[in-house]
Amino acid sequence: MNQLFQFLLRQRIFLLFVVLELVNLWGIFKYNDYQHTFYFNTTNRWAASILAMGEEVKSYHQLREVNQDLALENARLHAEIFKLNSQKQPESKIPYFLGEGMLQRYQPLACKVIDQSTQMSQNYLTIDKGTRDGIAPGMAVISSTGIVGKVISCTSDLSLIVSVLHTGNNVSAKIKSTGELGYIKWGGIQPEVANLQDVSKYKKVVKGDTIVTSDYNAVFPPNIPIGIVAKVGLEKDETFHDIKVMLLTHFSTLKYVYVIKNKLAAQQAILEQAKPKPE
Amino acid sequence: MLLLTVVLQILFLRDLAIGNIAFCFLYLWALLKAPLQIPIGLFLIGSFVLGWTVDIFYNTHGMHAFACVCIAMVRPLIFKVLTPANGYDERSSVSLAEMNVLWFFPYLFIMLFLHHVILFLMEAMDASLLGISLLRAFFSALVGMLVFGLLELFSQNK
Repeated sequence: MNQLFQFLLRQRIFLLFVVLELVNLWGIFKYNDYQHTFYFNTTNRWAASILAMGEEVKSYHQLREVNQDLALENARLHAEIFKLNSQKQPESKIPYFLGEGMLQRYQPLACKVIDQSTQMSQNYLTIDKGTRDGIAPGMAVISSTGIVGKVISCTSDLSLIVSVLHTGNNVSAKIKSTGELGYIKWGGIQPEVANLQDVSKYKKVVKGDTIVTSDYNAVFPPNIPIGIVAKVGLEKDETFHDIKVMLLTHFSTLKYVYVIKNKLAAQQAILEQAKPKPE
Repeated sequence: MLLLTVVLQILFLRDLAIGNIAFCFLYLWALLKAPLQIPIGLFLIGSFVLGWTVDIFYNTHGMHAFACVCIAMVRPLIFKVLTPANGYDERSSVSLAEMNVLWFFPYLFIMLFLHHVILFLMEAMDASLLGISLLRAFFSALVGMLVFGLLELFSQNK
């Protein structure tokens, strides 16, 4: 204690100096408007940036849940879109009524991709939902940007999807602006590009046209985006356009997909069976 | 004389700005001319009171006082650095008559420049105004040297 007092005594000049300067600083920041606001602004800015940093870290940890929520919300929005699209009146003059069954026909279900490939010539995806959630083989699978594929096999908790990036998986498609029909077939090499085939060379196709699923598709709901026309050529000695389509779905970064349950699939199947078989 | 410089400072020199870049701080006279032997504690308190008095009239609470206390603290150091050839033995006051020119003007410049730099930076509170603050401090110090030099010359004749 004694030593402390001696120290204070020895340093009294310096302590006096410090005390006086502190009083001055207090006066400066307390009573001068400009300095006062300056102090508040800087302290607030630092505080705000630190808080923002913390928030960023937190939000990073929440990303998983946020993704899940967004996927669910997207599924809900997809359902709305299907409903609205089917409600849209066709251009025909004939009175047309839409049944309740048709309105509720497509029900999307958000699923997480747990395994997939894009580099093989036949690519498949595995998702984390199965028959327990009502998924059955034959259902269409889309992503938030475009089509993905078709469910081919289910267990109780998992499902296998055959990707559009599969040389045997053709998708009936049309050009959105003209309604010209064709089908999408993957070339087997680039996971970004597919071919649109069966479009007659006498029909007009322009680079940049959007390709969507056709109305007569057995699997997909109509008007699901597939891709953009990237290159239009003419196959030599052929009657068809050679059209390269840039796929809208980014398969390599696919995290969530939507399996579309077709409520009328069973009825369709019954009708199919009713068709007279050719001899 | 102390009262006179403070009153002059408050009433007249407050509004004097030469080219908006040089200011005259005559009230520092008391700080500069304080006796060599003055106890530092007393000197610090004195400079604090002096600075705060000016602050009250300048509406800059604490800024002048801050700069004044700062140079009051530094003054003994400057004395040590600028020791005249034959020491401070028989000298008691800080003046041009007792010290030579080569001691007095550097002393003036260091004190004034330091004071002005601290003051202007305090006022500006902004790194982007650093250049203009230093410029102001420099020219104000030059003006201060001129004024205090003239004062010394006149008191020498007495």
